[in-house]
Amino acid sequence: MSAQTFFIGFFGLAAVWFGVVVFRTHSMVRSALALLFSQTALGALFLSMQAEFLGVLQIMMMATEMSIMAIFMVMFMMDPGGLGEMDMTHQKRLSLAAGFVAFAAAVAAAVFVDWGPVAGVAPDAAQQTHDLGIELLGRSMLIFETAGVTILTAMIAATAVAMPAVKRIGNK
Amino acid sequence: MNVELLLALVTGAALFGVGIYGALSQTNLVMIMMGVELILAAAMVNLVAFWRYLHPDAAAAQMFVLIVMTVMAIEMAVGFGVAIARFRARGSVEMEEAAELKG
Repeated sequence: MSAQTFFIGFFGLAAVWFGVVVFRTHSMVRSALALLFSQTALGALFLSMQAEFLGVLQIMMMATEMSIMAIFMVMFMMDPGGLGEMDMTHQKRLSLAAGFVAFAAAVAAAVFVDWGPVAGVAPDAAQQTHDLGIELLGRSMLIFETAGVTILTAMIAATAVAMPAVKRIGNK
Repeated sequence: MNVELLLALVTGAALFGVGIYGALSQTNLVMIMMGVELILAAAMVNLVAFWRYLHPDAAAAQMFVLIVMTVMAIEMAVGFGVAIARFRARGSVEMEEAAELKG
């Protein structure tokens, strides 16, 4: 077994395990931290698959995103520490069945589909970043720009939705 | 079949299953968003695996990962905007108390 196989298996298992912990703990702060660890393990998984730029980006982005999520969890939850052990789930059986069916279907697709010849080596990190830059500012420029404008629109929309209703009425 | 590709795809499948469970079973809006984040993370794992083991010379695969990251950021921004509005209006982000949204 190569080191790459080991690390892909290890970080994959860590990502899934922390993903499960997100929904098993009663503490909302622990949930947010578990999701942070899950996403960080995914970043490490990307690094194991030699996608250096995406791996580092994933870790940086998710560290910020999940920290903000933890703050929101504390603000919004009635019992953020989970000391009351409130049950905040419904339709558990249906959800479990749906999750299992989705997992089984995806694994079946992964195993039974003929993915074609496997490539041996990936370009080095500098070449990857160069190629991605050329892709983003060349052929995929429109998609990239659309993503940027969509984020800007989402930020404005989120701010508008979150503003107090009294102010909005006052502006009319 | 390549073992590394299979491991990555199974990881993606497991994250997808856990995300589906979380998005369907949780009653809190923020927890539902966490489930959706896991589903999107599963898509990213698959994209990176396909890039690395099937088309390492196609930078478009990496570009799609950036698009999925963008979707994650948008989902968070809009989700928290809705959560703040809901919390202001009703003092809670429990989705079982939002049955009036059915219309």
